[in-house]
Amino acid sequence: MKNNQPLAQQQPPADALIIGAGFAGLGTAIRLQQQGIRNITILERSDDVGGTWRDNQYPGAACDIPSNLYSFSFAQNPNWSRSFSGSREILEYIHHLVNHFNLRQYIRFHQNVSNLAWDQDKGLWQATTTNGHVFSGRTAVMAQGPLSNPGWPGIAGLDEFKGKKIHSAAWDHDYDLKGKRIAVIGTGASAIQIVPELAKCAGKLTVFQRTPPWIMPRPDFTTPDWNKTLFRKAPVSQTAVRKALYLAHESMALAVIWNSPLTRFAERLGRWHLRKQVPDRWLRRQLTPDYRLGCKRILVSNDYYPALQKPNTKLITWPIDRISQHGIRTVEGIEHQFDCIVFATGFEVSNAGTPFPITGIGGRSLNEEWKRGAQAYKSINVSGYPNLFFTFGPNSGPGHNSALVYMESQMDYIVRSIRTIKSLKLKALDVRQSAQDDHNRSIQSRLAKTNWNSGCQSWYLTEDGFNATMYPGFATQYAKQMADLELKDYRLLAEEAASETF
Amino acid sequence: MAKIDLDNMLEKIKNTQWSLSDVDWDAPGAELITPEQWPKLKAFMADLMWIEHVGARAFAAMAKKAPDDTLRQIYTYFHAEEQRHANAEMALMKRWGMLEDGELPEPNNNLRLVIEWLDRFADDQPVYVLGTVVPMLEIALDGALCKFLLDTVDDPVCHQAFELINGDEARHLGVGFTVMEMQGHGKTYIELIRMTAQLMDPRLILGIASYFPLLNKMRDNIVEMGLPEEKLYEAMRKFEKIGGRTGDGRRNPWFQIIKHHGRFVVDRKKRFYHAPIDALVKVADVIPRKAFPAVPSWVKEITYHPTA
Repeated sequence: MKNNQPLAQQQPPADALIIGAGFAGLGTAIRLQQQGIRNITILERSDDVGGTWRDNQYPGAACDIPSNLYSFSFAQNPNWSRSFSGSREILEYIHHLVNHFNLRQYIRFHQNVSNLAWDQDKGLWQATTTNGHVFSGRTAVMAQGPLSNPGWPGIAGLDEFKGKKIHSAAWDHDYDLKGKRIAVIGTGASAIQIVPELAKCAGKLTVFQRTPPWIMPRPDFTTPDWNKTLFRKAPVSQTAVRKALYLAHESMALAVIWNSPLTRFAERLGRWHLRKQVPDRWLRRQLTPDYRLGCKRILVSNDYYPALQKPNTKLITWPIDRISQHGIRTVEGIEHQFDCIVFATGFEVSNAGTPFPITGIGGRSLNEEWKRGAQAYKSINVSGYPNLFFTFGPNSGPGHNSALVYMESQMDYIVRSIRTIKSLKLKALDVRQSAQDDHNRSIQSRLAKTNWNSGCQSWYLTEDGFNATMYPGFATQYAKQMADLELKDYRLLAEEAASETF
Repeated sequence: MAKIDLDNMLEKIKNTQWSLSDVDWDAPGAELITPEQWPKLKAFMADLMWIEHVGARAFAAMAKKAPDDTLRQIYTYFHAEEQRHANAEMALMKRWGMLEDGELPEPNNNLRLVIEWLDRFADDQPVYVLGTVVPMLEIALDGALCKFLLDTVDDPVCHQAFELINGDEARHLGVGFTVMEMQGHGKTYIELIRMTAQLMDPRLILGIASYFPLLNKMRDNIVEMGLPEEKLYEAMRKFEKIGGRTGDGRRNPWFQIIKHHGRFVVDRKKRFYHAPIDALVKVADVIPRKAFPAVPSWVKEITYHPTA
């Protein structure tokens, strides 16, 4: 029988094998390159860079963090057109990074990793891709993104619907929405950006909400030309603005992460925003969250509430019973019929498993170990999986500040570790289980006091309520945690040593 | 009726859903409504539909105040299910030619007062106040009215619809009585103190002032329809029997209050109760429509269309 599978093709080992060409993967490559490490391979499953910002191009897609903070400190962009940039402009920024730092040479496109395994004898990570290629690296960096795979809801009858189905994270730009009867399932971060755009063109738009989010006013404005000129001519002014934005967001931790008088203040602000935009008492009641602010992701929008009140738009809060051939049946007994259902239902979150099998020392499976909730040392290393680094690993998620601020701390930690591995000629740098356990005991005890663990259901928590996602502190604390590579917390194996001595 | 495991109940609720499209509203049988029945049935169905609808709003308030997530989800479903009953009853009215296209039946003034009260104050009430009143309303009004309807109307589509509705109502009552017993677990003394404080709440007094006349009004409507009022009383006594079947249930002070109130309602000889309440019914009847504020927007959510 003829074997149609392509034969595995072995590539020479890289110093750093990076999985994913989004912000984290590209940023790590830039930092490595700046430290003189150029033997880098970046595996990208798609045909373009950008990760989340390449995939999330739905109408209205934008960032919830001001662009001057949602960008790399070492590659600031003076030309942001708005205070909160849209997805296309962020993607352009990523393309600019690739060109400016000449990163394309490292990227292998259409390489979708299906398996990652540690070869103890060779001291190499081997990544097998779905098209049969094998890439190896002395170190491996998981930069595949914590929110990179569309999450479909567990609603009965999902496959029965005969109309068009679109996921917010894989938008079909060829489908004409004008005049169509459209449903949006979900009212999270993507939905509240999509709804105002769809309300402009849909014949009928129905938004299905399970839990109302806390929504704050969005201080969005077009950047004046003088501002861009100032940033270009005096970059220090942009750094100062960035610092001010950073500190402003840091102060928000006091309202978002912990239950404090500032939480009450922020809740009042959210209710004021709602009252100001929604005059109808019943609709306001439907849109009022009944959980503590911060427990789920806080959203910002000025046009979501007004969009819901347009004549062609309706909010449905009845529980969904099932999806039928023609639409969505809700428990009040009505079948709401549509031409198209938009699933703004978020992503598959790897907080209780890995996106593909990862095998460590002695064949141990990380997916198995993380089944009851992911755990790592400082969010970045896992004991038994030497030379493997996670960006946005367990308990690294920010709730109040720019993800890129956290990411920079991780990237610098990775670069420091890889330099150490190279300079000390190490075969393996493996974090000690005891150090990992100590770290997690401390993290979990701090998490118990946060708003995320205050009783609501969110994607931050596993089904058992274990918080494997968020970092319980200020970004400044996180940066401090990541500032030092404490070798006493690691087991070091020299290149010449036999593997069994490890 | 054994005490219910609420988690299992939630699963059961999710697995036994139905929708208006499951019923063929154009099937033969509408002609079985006699011309004599028609006008009385129209008024009866309008009242029934509104009771379901205000019941729905009460469940919405209970969902906000539910002590745990399971009960919150259950009440959220019950809110929608009561709405479904109102929708189905409207679909029957439409089938029987009692509604013009897009018409919404007018609620009577007592119901109008209840709607107003629910809209303004229900969300502020402790879950156990509504948690005791709602089972009473369901067992007494829903139970008696539905039974009467099925005894009187021969239309098979009506029977099919009420088979589905009664399936839901059985679960609503099961949960209702279980929750009443759950409240009985609390220390009676503390509950009594708390309850006394709640009774002093003017919002609750307003609620009582709309609930009491509603029962008497419904009794009058039932008599008008030709149903022996004893049937309503039988249903109300069931509340006392089921609600008081366990020590926990009997220790719930709200159960005791509603039970004793029920005894007054079923005994016309208690003039000191009926005279003022009947007077309130009469007063409500003469309130001019214009005196009521605009109906809240949730009232307009009901529909007889199986699809939207």
